[in-house]
Amino acid sequence: MSKLLRHGLLIGCLLIAPNIAAQVLIVNPQNDAPQLSRNNLRAIFAMRTPSWPDGSALHVFVLEDNDPTHTSFCKHILGMFPYQLRRVWDRQVFSGTGIAPITVKTEQEMIQRVAQTKGAIGYIQPENINSSIKTLGEPL
Amino acid sequence: MMKYFLYLLLYLTSAIATAESSDWLDNLQIHGFASQAFMLTTDNDFYGDSDHGSAAYTEFGINSSLQLSSKFRVAGQLLSRNAGEMDNGSPRVDYALLDINLISTMNGRLGAYLGRIKNPLGLYNDARDVAHTRQGIFSPQVIYFDKVRDLTISSDGIQLYGEYALPYGTLLFQGGAGYPIPDKNVEYAYLGQDWQGKLKGDNLAIVGRIMYEHDGGRWIFSASGASLELDFNHRPADSAIPFIGITSGKVGIDYSVLSAQYNGEKWQFTSEMAIQDVEFERLGGLFEDQSNEPIAYMFEANYKFTSKWQSFLRYEVFYLDKGDKYGRQFNKDIQAGSNAISFLSGGAINVPVTPSYSRYSQSWVIGGRWDINKNLMARTEFHWFDGTAILSPRENDMTTAKRDWNLFAVSLSYRF
Repeated sequence: MSKLLRHGLLIGCLLIAPNIAAQVLIVNPQNDAPQLSRNNLRAIFAMRTPSWPDGSALHVFVLEDNDPTHTSFCKHILGMFPYQLRRVWDRQVFSGTGIAPITVKTEQEMIQRVAQTKGAIGYIQPENINSSIKTLGEPL
Repeated sequence: MMKYFLYLLLYLTSAIATAESSDWLDNLQIHGFASQAFMLTTDNDFYGDSDHGSAAYTEFGINSSLQLSSKFRVAGQLLSRNAGEMDNGSPRVDYALLDINLISTMNGRLGAYLGRIKNPLGLYNDARDVAHTRQGIFSPQVIYFDKVRDLTISSDGIQLYGEYALPYGTLLFQGGAGYPIPDKNVEYAYLGQDWQGKLKGDNLAIVGRIMYEHDGGRWIFSASGASLELDFNHRPADSAIPFIGITSGKVGIDYSVLSAQYNGEKWQFTSEMAIQDVEFERLGGLFEDQSNEPIAYMFEANYKFTSKWQSFLRYEVFYLDKGDKYGRQFNKDIQAGSNAISFLSGGAINVPVTPSYSRYSQSWVIGGRWDINKNLMARTEFHWFDGTAILSPRENDMTTAKRDWNLFAVSLSYRF
């Protein structure tokens, strides 16, 4: 097999390889970072959990619906699809029964807002972790 | 009651605004929507003069929610709907409520809503005025009748709500008591026309829904219902004509909806069934102790080609009386009644006979949705109808409405 073909195949494999690195949950550094189950996370991101166990307000940050990190977070961490969360939020917002999370445009903005907001929770790709935020373990 | 509640909202809002001006903006959310549709029917009027093409379906809404503290939140929405002869677009308070968080843990919560609250019926009733959250340009009319929208959409009262995490899913409930909000459309739909007298929502009604979301909502099952009684107070003119007039009385309505839904990555399947029990008490004339047991169901398959393009196919059925699905007995009775009245009055009164196909509706719908961006959405639909039961008597003369009719519609909707 020619060198060119082999290189081509390798690059091709890399390009189509699924992004298997799971998203990491991040919280405000003042948070005592409880271990959360998948059910806990689903309730938090559906905006059905208004406060942390210590009673402090919980603030949820998400990326936009079509952001690949958001799609992957929904599928792999929550076991849901973005449209399901969108429907839950819309129903709450437009019937007055609840609220929607705060949407940020980039992971940098996500890190910044979570670092600044007490009681905040969000998610990023593992390579973007820095010291301004605390990470949570994989869901139970 | 609404008036006092609005004053309370205003007071609380201003109190919080002056007290904690530092970060109250973080606790404020404002959202809204706007939608315009165009309808063309082969016969009959649906949302305006649709057999000549109608654009009389316009919706605007703006809402806000303010978290006052960890326990209290206020929310309200103003809505304007132009819906053919059924709604003229004058703005109204769609909901205005105080949300009290009673208990909140990581595994569940319990709370209460006070004020004007959207009724939790079926999977879609509570946010069905927002194009982005309903299943098509029109909600399935056999379950979510737009011809009696105001009666089912909300009530003034109190409702409890909560969620509880189970090992494989979540149990949700919402329900309580409140005063229904009947309007002229309800009179047309249940009493056939606009009488001088009025239907009043002075009796407390109950409404509730219990729902189970399996595996984060992959499967959703729900049972919901409402029970209400409307008093009708007639005016002298209403009973002036013998036989076909109306006197004071009551309309009692029990409404139950059962729903099931599968939510996959590409496919979504939905089925809903509605059972109604309508009792007419003392109204006299044509309504003499009548009772109806309407039944309706729908099946829908929705496929997402991409995150921007999706399409659905739906079948909808409604029978006004499950014991006389195609209205044959009804037609015989009304023909006999009409003959008798004509005979007794010496031919002076001729009651037009409503055809049997006004008692049911069966339809297929095919539709497409294009999410142009996160705020803007376009839709198109085609409906094939057999029967006229979903049409409003306010827009159509039910004695002359056509049995087989088709509807084509397009819409453009915005939300933020």
